[in-house]
Amino acid sequence: MPDLSHVGRRYSAPGQRIDPGSATRMAAAIAGPDPVREPDGVPPTFAAVYCLGPPLVQLFTDPEVGINLAGLIHGEQSFEWPVQVRPGDIVDSSAEITGIESRRGMTFVRLAMEAVRPADQAVVCRGTALMIVRGAA
Amino acid sequence: MSAPAVSAVAVGDSIAPLSRRVTQDQINAYAEASGDHNPIHVDAEFARSVGLPGAIAHGLLELGILAECIASWAGGNANLASLSCRFSKPLLAGDTILCTGTVIAVDDAEGIATLEVGATSDRGDRVLTNGRATVRLSR
Repeated sequence: MPDLSHVGRRYSAPGQRIDPGSATRMAAAIAGPDPVREPDGVPPTFAAVYCLGPPLVQLFTDPEVGINLAGLIHGEQSFEWPVQVRPGDIVDSSAEITGIESRRGMTFVRLAMEAVRPADQAVVCRGTALMIVRGAA
Repeated sequence: MSAPAVSAVAVGDSIAPLSRRVTQDQINAYAEASGDHNPIHVDAEFARSVGLPGAIAHGLLELGILAECIASWAGGNANLASLSCRFSKPLLAGDTILCTGTVIAVDDAEGIATLEVGATSDRGDRVLTNGRATVRLSR
């Protein structure tokens, strides 16, 4: 179960490729029955795949933190896109646990994340997330 | 389509709302596209076993629809500079989401509009709350 000793723990996922096909599939999934507005672009929330997802998988499988996935809720999310990512880009993603708090039988895990394009050192995305784990620490 | 001009945007302006029925097929497609196969999204029976009323949409799918709504007003994805929200209530498969936004500040010097954004479901639930977005405007 996550506790205060895990604050500051970092996860790194270098070399994430912005796969054009994956971006297109996400754009289609978001659009559902409607036409995709920018079929050749990268949807902003594709950041879930290249910025949030890879370090999050590492957190979820970190045996020392021991998050119970069955009780997990995504509580809040923020993204900033200082520079737009392009299909085919390679980015290095990382995340850090910035806060852990237990109350009302739940554990609130805060994360900060960033994706940097090493080709020009541009920050293409940064963000924060709040994950809520049912079951107190 | 280009970004709205700074001179054409004012506090109180509303963006065109976006309404979309989110089906289980769409949620399944999002699970494939995002790699998030949590059974609360794709298995209604499992979702009910953990106290949910049924399979629920990924919060990030809802956020993606909200981003599309804002980007439509902003003249494209490249003009959406930031977006944040709280996932307050679940959106069930088959529900219709309604995304809205209103300009609450315009920074003439930086060419940035700040919007209060959010989404409700046709059940009357406020599914995305505390939403904020910033948009890059043109000169």
